[in-house]
Amino acid sequence: MFPNMISRNLKVWILTALMTVSVSSYAQDKPNAENGKKLYEANNCGSCHALDKKVVGPALRGVHTRRSEEWLVQWVRNNEKFRKVTKDPDAIALYNEYGGAAMNIFENLTPANVLDIVEYIKTAPEAKKAVAVVATDSQAKDDNTTLYILLLLVAIFSAILLVLARVKNTLKRVAAEKDPEELAAMNAPKKGFFEKVLPGKWGKKNPVVLTLFAVAIFGGYAAYQGFQFSITEVGVQKGYAPKQPIAFSHQLHAGQLKVDCKYCHSTVEESKQASIPALNTCMNCHKGVQLTDKYNGEISPEIKKIYAALDYNPEAKPGEEYGPNPRPIKWVRIHNLPDHAYFNHAQHVKVGKQNCQTCHGAIEKMEVVQQHSSLQMGWCIDCHRNAQVDVASNNYYKALHEKAAKDIATNKSKSKYFAADGKVKLTPAMNGGLECSKCHY
Amino acid sequence: MSNNIKYWKGEDELNRNPQFLTAQKNEFHDDLPLDEVFNEDAIELQANRRDFLKYFGFSVTAVALAACQKTKIRHAVPYLVKPEDVTPGIANYYRSTCGACSAACGIEVKVREGRPIKVDGSVDSPISQGGTCAVGQASILSLYDNERLANPLSNGAEQTDWVAIDAEITNSLKKIAAANGKVVILSGSTHSPSTLKAIESFKTSFPTTEHVIYDAVSYSGILDANESDFGKRALPTYKFGSAKVIVSFGADFLGTWISPVEFSKGYAINRQPAVAGGMSKHIQFESAMSMTGTNADFRFPMRASQEVLYVATLYNYIAIAMGAKQIPVPQQGELAGNSIKKTAEALVKAKGTSLVISASNEVEVQKIVNGINMLLGNYGSTIDMVNHSNQYQGSDKKTAEVLAGLKSGAIAGVIFYNTNPVYNHNSKEWTEAIKKASLSVSFASSKDETAALCQYVCPDNHYLESWNDAEPRKGTYHFTQPTISNVFNTRQAQVSLLTWANALVAPAKDPFASKGIFSQKLQASPYYNFIRANWAATLGSDDAFNGVLEKGLYAVAADEGVASYTGNVEALASYVSANAKASGVDMVLYQGIGVRDGAYANNPWLQEMPDPVSKVCWDNYVAIPKAMAVKLDIAEGDTVNVKVGDVSYTNVPALIQPGQANETVAMALGYGRTHAGKVAGSVEKGFDTIGVNGYAFVNNTGNRSFVAKNVEITKGDDNYSLAQTQTHHSIEGRDIVRESTYAAWQKSPNAGNDKPATHIYTIWEKPEYRKDGSPNHLWAMAIDLNACTGCGSCIVSCSIENNVPVVGRDEIRLRREMHWIRIDRYYSFNSTEGVLTKDTEIEAADGKGNFDHWQNVNVLHQPMMCQHCSNAPCETVCPVLATTHSTEGLNQMTYNRCIGTKYCGNNCPYKVRRFNWFRFNDNDKFDFHFNNPLGKMVINPDVTVRTRGVMEKCSFCVQRIQEGKLKAKREGKSPNEVQVLTACQRACPSNAIVFGDLHNPESEVSKLHKNERGFTVLEEINVQSSVKYMTKIRNNDSI
Repeated sequence: MFPNMISRNLKVWILTALMTVSVSSYAQDKPNAENGKKLYEANNCGSCHALDKKVVGPALRGVHTRRSEEWLVQWVRNNEKFRKVTKDPDAIALYNEYGGAAMNIFENLTPANVLDIVEYIKTAPEAKKAVAVVATDSQAKDDNTTLYILLLLVAIFSAILLVLARVKNTLKRVAAEKDPEELAAMNAPKKGFFEKVLPGKWGKKNPVVLTLFAVAIFGGYAAYQGFQFSITEVGVQKGYAPKQPIAFSHQLHAGQLKVDCKYCHSTVEESKQASIPALNTCMNCHKGVQLTDKYNGEISPEIKKIYAALDYNPEAKPGEEYGPNPRPIKWVRIHNLPDHAYFNHAQHVKVGKQNCQTCHGAIEKMEVVQQHSSLQMGWCIDCHRNAQVDVASNNYYKALHEKAAKDIATNKSKSKYFAADGKVKLTPAMNGGLECSKCHY
Repeated sequence: MSNNIKYWKGEDELNRNPQFLTAQKNEFHDDLPLDEVFNEDAIELQANRRDFLKYFGFSVTAVALAACQKTKIRHAVPYLVKPEDVTPGIANYYRSTCGACSAACGIEVKVREGRPIKVDGSVDSPISQGGTCAVGQASILSLYDNERLANPLSNGAEQTDWVAIDAEITNSLKKIAAANGKVVILSGSTHSPSTLKAIESFKTSFPTTEHVIYDAVSYSGILDANESDFGKRALPTYKFGSAKVIVSFGADFLGTWISPVEFSKGYAINRQPAVAGGMSKHIQFESAMSMTGTNADFRFPMRASQEVLYVATLYNYIAIAMGAKQIPVPQQGELAGNSIKKTAEALVKAKGTSLVISASNEVEVQKIVNGINMLLGNYGSTIDMVNHSNQYQGSDKKTAEVLAGLKSGAIAGVIFYNTNPVYNHNSKEWTEAIKKASLSVSFASSKDETAALCQYVCPDNHYLESWNDAEPRKGTYHFTQPTISNVFNTRQAQVSLLTWANALVAPAKDPFASKGIFSQKLQASPYYNFIRANWAATLGSDDAFNGVLEKGLYAVAADEGVASYTGNVEALASYVSANAKASGVDMVLYQGIGVRDGAYANNPWLQEMPDPVSKVCWDNYVAIPKAMAVKLDIAEGDTVNVKVGDVSYTNVPALIQPGQANETVAMALGYGRTHAGKVAGSVEKGFDTIGVNGYAFVNNTGNRSFVAKNVEITKGDDNYSLAQTQTHHSIEGRDIVRESTYAAWQKSPNAGNDKPATHIYTIWEKPEYRKDGSPNHLWAMAIDLNACTGCGSCIVSCSIENNVPVVGRDEIRLRREMHWIRIDRYYSFNSTEGVLTKDTEIEAADGKGNFDHWQNVNVLHQPMMCQHCSNAPCETVCPVLATTHSTEGLNQMTYNRCIGTKYCGNNCPYKVRRFNWFRFNDNDKFDFHFNNPLGKMVINPDVTVRTRGVMEKCSFCVQRIQEGKLKAKREGKSPNEVQVLTACQRACPSNAIVFGDLHNPESEVSKLHKNERGFTVLEEINVQSSVKYMTKIRNNDSI
């Protein structure tokens, strides 16, 4: 046992020595703060650290004054080894200070990379307080005030114009009373409205017909607008993108960070509801991810809303983080099916193997989620008629698939199951997918 | 027609009452009140131009304004922390124990997103065996009853603070103890080991406490007889599954007697003609027409007051055959045609596999019954006295002592637990007695008749909110676990008792200790800790205890051996002689199938469920025999005055009940509640009381007698229309039900079903999906008329599953009930000379004037729901294609397409379509449960709540079909592995309903559809219905 220990210690010693050598050799190149900033962001350092504030990990500003470069390189790249193998007393003390919450291992970073990051921390400017928050707030406001003021002004001026024109006419008439010739001219048959407005012979058409024509055009437009309004009233809300209590971005989570849809909407393959995730799902990441780097050491205001809903205090002692007054979040429902329509996610996602995007659109690009499909019955039916479903692999559909294959064997391309590529084509409609009781009961 | 029996559903139909016949032809029960509408002053048919413009302008503006509101914002609120086992949209099932009555059936509770929405039987429970009764089904609604007490009451005032109330009660108890006064806990039958231990703990703290058990409907007769004959005050375990000859004296064992679900399951086994050892024979002697009586092969009218004579006569016949000593009585109580003698012969032939029971509360009758069963050697085979039942334990004698003690002041404190003697015992005396007590507490969950008089009401939890255990049979333990946290500020009675006794048990380990955010919110109920401690010896580990909870059952091996019998029947001779003579009119006070003893009277589902025999809803009535009706000139709709001693009711609705024994009348208990609530009646809240209280006629001296003697019946001077569903659809002499006899069936299995319909024409081609080898499903049902007892559990189960609204008495009078499944009940005459088949024969029998044949009717129950016809007549007449056919054989109903023409309902040969005359939800005119947020929690989220103006009907539980199919698809199983149970099938306590896929040759339904007994109703009109009925086979060739 004793020789064994010696040999292990020896290995570690050699390794450390090598590393120090390599660090010092790299150290000759000047650390690059710009590269450091990139690395800082790419490795999500901000998830746990802020420059000026203790978050999950310690505040980083001035870290170069507290620790040596060698120490930092070893700590950042593999703090576990540093603690357990090298048994660095400072490292162990730091670990214990933070309640045994281990930092991630970043062996992907070269020692030079680490020093770049340190350089960035060294040179990073002090941010001004809470600018970002204010900015988002003012942007978020739905600002129609200017438009209303303009419209009001137009209305007032038109009214004044009308009154003035009237006054002018009256004055003219009063003036003309004295001159019979002018009066006669004034009383002479006048050109009709359409004759004045429309050029040439168009103006001489029957004014009644013209009026009707005008009414038809304006009426048609109004009716179209009315129809648009009314279909939203009966629940067709395509494009509906309400403001949510938390500005959760699918674009960020599903698009940029490529979090699997099913990570949050975990019941989509078993239940009729894909279900909005419970807040403990959010907390899996956001216990750590607080985006303090973006908000100047403060926790992101949106993430704070999660904490508020759970009555969670990130600075409390372990075991006492959750307060007694959690308040559930009232999300605004976007996809509202009428009560008499039954839809089951599991049937479509698990059995029918449909992508989320088929109905929900490019959700991974939506900063604010909006209703992509009309959710009208015609839309459902269209898909049920045309969607080609892969059922060959599902034992439930085996007999159906065999029947279709047999039909193709006898009827060749005349078979209704014949797809262009010669394979079996099966749509939901061919298996009763258009029947009322599949969705209404 | 396949047989010549003349069936009829009601007297009007039998007598071809011309008014009734015209009414049958009409689409609407009453003429539509069009004239009334047009004659109203408000509507002037000649409006002038100005009025027209005014109304026009107003409506346009109103519509425009109404349209100006923004689209309603709907919210979705997810869990803060999702419980691990809960998946939104998917139900969880928990095993528990039904608390609706003392039978304690093992149940399975369906819970959606933390809200129990359905109760069904647990297949592992030896009591329920997977079935439920209507009361058990409906009991879930009592959880969501917004008339339950939200807080404890102290001297009538609500108190939110339990601590204050506890302090007051503990003080009172201590004062009583200091003065050496007595305290009585008057509880209903309880066989929960932990509850009994909690009561023991209470007794330890307050040693002057006595625990007395009182049952509203008493079994003291049997209990006392067994105490004297076997030295054990307990009900035996009856094994109907082993009995080949069953003789019942007035016991409604399929409906209300002791443990009806358990008995129905056992009974059904031997009612199959094909069962090994032959079909059982069921002989019933009774006064009132009970549901069990309707299922009997032989039913003999008996005067209830003379029961002891009949039982003694039966004993003597058997004693002769077995060579035993007779009871020395001079008089023999033989009935016409030597019925008792023949019954004795049948019993002797089947000795060891026979069973004789009686519902009488007379100890002497029960002693003779014990003697009969002893002679026949039934103990150990069909009756188990060793592994006895614990289901009812009440003592009438001790209850009377409590009443006397309270009146004399010997008892200073009284605690009512699950008892309501002010309503169901001697109301007047209890009212005075409770006032004398220095401490009176009730655990009632609502302010019932007794609780209203108590100083303190400490509302108990509903059983679905409770922890508990139960021992319905010796060695068989059921467990109760909460499926929802408390809806109101209530507390389990056991916790109250333990709190007052200062005997709460500290938890061995907090089960929620490691649940993160929940650790601050959740606390295990103190009673859970108590139960765990109580079971620590047998089920110590978490795994063992949780395993038992999951199964809902813990059983120890049954004891062998036979209880020793020390009875002496001959000594009863003098009692028999003294009680042999009957005079005047007897009145049988029985429990209705729906509201039973009245504890659940405020449950609208039970009130709306038609009585299996009379088909009356929402009322009790005096059932009188035809002979009496003729004598007193009483017709349907008349009332009678009833008087027994100095108790009398005037103008009680009368009902002429075929099968009611002459010189007897009957009345259901459970009605006449004055402090129940908005459904059954409440004086306090101003709701009319439903029916009259039959307990007033119960003789409370000695063992309480539910047979009143010397009843005076006179014709009342009022009319009353009972809400009856039986005559709502007439059969017009068509061949709808088929029956035959066991002997005929043994000769040819298609007996009674051997004349196929002729002249079958069709204009339709056989659809693709009906052909064999279709890869789809073909859903179908098979209903066994031999198994169906008519109990109505399926009706309630269907209503719960499919959000069927309660419509109330007035709407039922207008024939607008909404039940998707009904049970049609057909009578036919069966005199001692045989079945009367022809109208002329019936007229001749009527002409004799004694109406004996009205006492002898055969009854057939036929569940009727949408038959999902392949050539459905409803589908072809719908102008908007709202009802169409699916490729799985379902007749689909699409509510959102329906415009309410009712053509389909008119064209349906089975009359199973129901029209929504009103919007029943959120409508205070239908003040049941659909109009309040709490009552709506019972709604099944997978089924649409229908609105006004649409047709609806049985869907074959399409939501369950879709769920079953999806499960198979998700798991990649073949279509033949799809498991679907419809709500009616799942609830049925006699396995009468089978549902499944006809394209699966191995399915039970496929086999039954090929059975020779199978027939479809109205086969001749060739609608190709998907429901096959199995011909009823009666074992009534000879006794």
